[in-house]
Amino acid sequence: MFKFLLVFICLLILCGFTGELFAQNTQIKGFIDGITTYQKGQVSFGFEEQDLFITSQITDRISFLGETVFKFSPSSPTDFDVSIERVVFKYNYAGNHSLLFGKQHTPIDYWNDTYHHGRVFYPTIYRPLLFDANIIPLHTTGVRLQGDNLGDIKFGYDFMVGNGLGSTDVQDNDKFKSVTVAIHIKPADGLQIGTYFYSDVISKGAIPHGFTLPVKYQVNQNLLTGSIAYFGKRYELLAESTFAYNHTDSIGTKQTNASYIYGGIRVTDKLVPYAKVERINYQVGEMYYVKDNVTSFIAGIRYEISYLAVIKLEYEYDKKEIEGQINKVTAQFAIGF
Amino acid sequence: MKAFLFKIVFINLIVFTAYLSVKAQDMPLTIIANSKGAPSELTLGQLRAVLKGEKLRWDDGNKVTIALMKTNTPIGMNTCKRLYNMTSNELNKLFLALVFQGKGEAPTFFNSVSELQTFINQTPGSIGIIESNTTNNERVINVDGKKSI
Repeated sequence: MFKFLLVFICLLILCGFTGELFAQNTQIKGFIDGITTYQKGQVSFGFEEQDLFITSQITDRISFLGETVFKFSPSSPTDFDVSIERVVFKYNYAGNHSLLFGKQHTPIDYWNDTYHHGRVFYPTIYRPLLFDANIIPLHTTGVRLQGDNLGDIKFGYDFMVGNGLGSTDVQDNDKFKSVTVAIHIKPADGLQIGTYFYSDVISKGAIPHGFTLPVKYQVNQNLLTGSIAYFGKRYELLAESTFAYNHTDSIGTKQTNASYIYGGIRVTDKLVPYAKVERINYQVGEMYYVKDNVTSFIAGIRYEISYLAVIKLEYEYDKKEIEGQINKVTAQFAIGF
Repeated sequence: MKAFLFKIVFINLIVFTAYLSVKAQDMPLTIIANSKGAPSELTLGQLRAVLKGEKLRWDDGNKVTIALMKTNTPIGMNTCKRLYNMTSNELNKLFLALVFQGKGEAPTFFNSVSELQTFINQTPGSIGIIESNTTNNERVINVDGKKSI
């Protein structure tokens, strides 16, 4: 009995000691939002994704970021799915230059890499429609070189090679790799101007994220995005435009353009009225995307209780080629915790 | 009479506390740093960039670690206003966004100046802000040639 106690105490001491040795700065944070919508004479209550993200400084130069989302999924037996959204190992090899590996938000435009699941950061309730139209690849698993805040104009770059569209999180579905190149500058406080390029070959038979049916033809895809973001003390502006070029051998190259412009004015410390106009236009004969030309307009008001709690009220009008006209009023309470 | 005296003392205490708080927010600030990492001289622009998490490493290779007083303390509020040109809320949002994007680390926040000073002394690459009249033997970083700002 004594021997057992001695071993137990020694183990406890050892655990405590090793705990000291490997003390890490690990933090868990999260986001969630509740929404109420009014559409076609019906009021609905609900909540969206519950997002948890973990950051941990492993050594002086190595860090980890993980992000997991729990979301409603009618096809799941429990009505909810768990999704690994990001697993990023980062090695800061020199100055402001880092090497990243893992599943990441594709650095394809400002919104995707800046807000993504962090709804408390969103200037509007929902993300732009081009995200749900599967026009841009939201995540890429691969290796990325990143630099930020270099020189007087605060130049930044991302160069990423990853599994292409149609791949799973653990394996590429074909021999082709996606390539993303992004550059930006921050010439003044709150201002960021960037341009982004993405290229991939989507194999015949692949089922990219968000698609329900396999792609019928091999598609060579190139995406080009330009963006300007300004979030100052009083004025907010975010404008992005993406040109997508999908090439198939049978019909040649078709162009899709998705653009939006958001503007807001901070009238008090906490209150920001805003508006957003968005348009997605597909060229006739587009084979890869579901052709559904959209014009959308929203007007809303945002009340920032604190940096961790935001209320938004928004009116949205969409005119869609397939669904027709949509009128919707949405209220959202988004928090960080 | 007792109640009247109590009221007078109570009001004076409130006024005195408010005075101390306002005074603390006007106090000059001094930038202190560990012996390893930060250079002995910075411009105000360079300092602001460092404090906003825009610099990951010092020229000697040490990782930049920012130490601040909590944003609800008078020194913390003074720091937000004068060095970040932000409210406490804006500063917290800035760092939450930076951490979420995986582009940086949040500062380490302290309740007391002595804790912050100890942290600076023990952490290579650290840089922190305290009031000028509370410096002990820490390494002081000149900003635009001045010991306090």
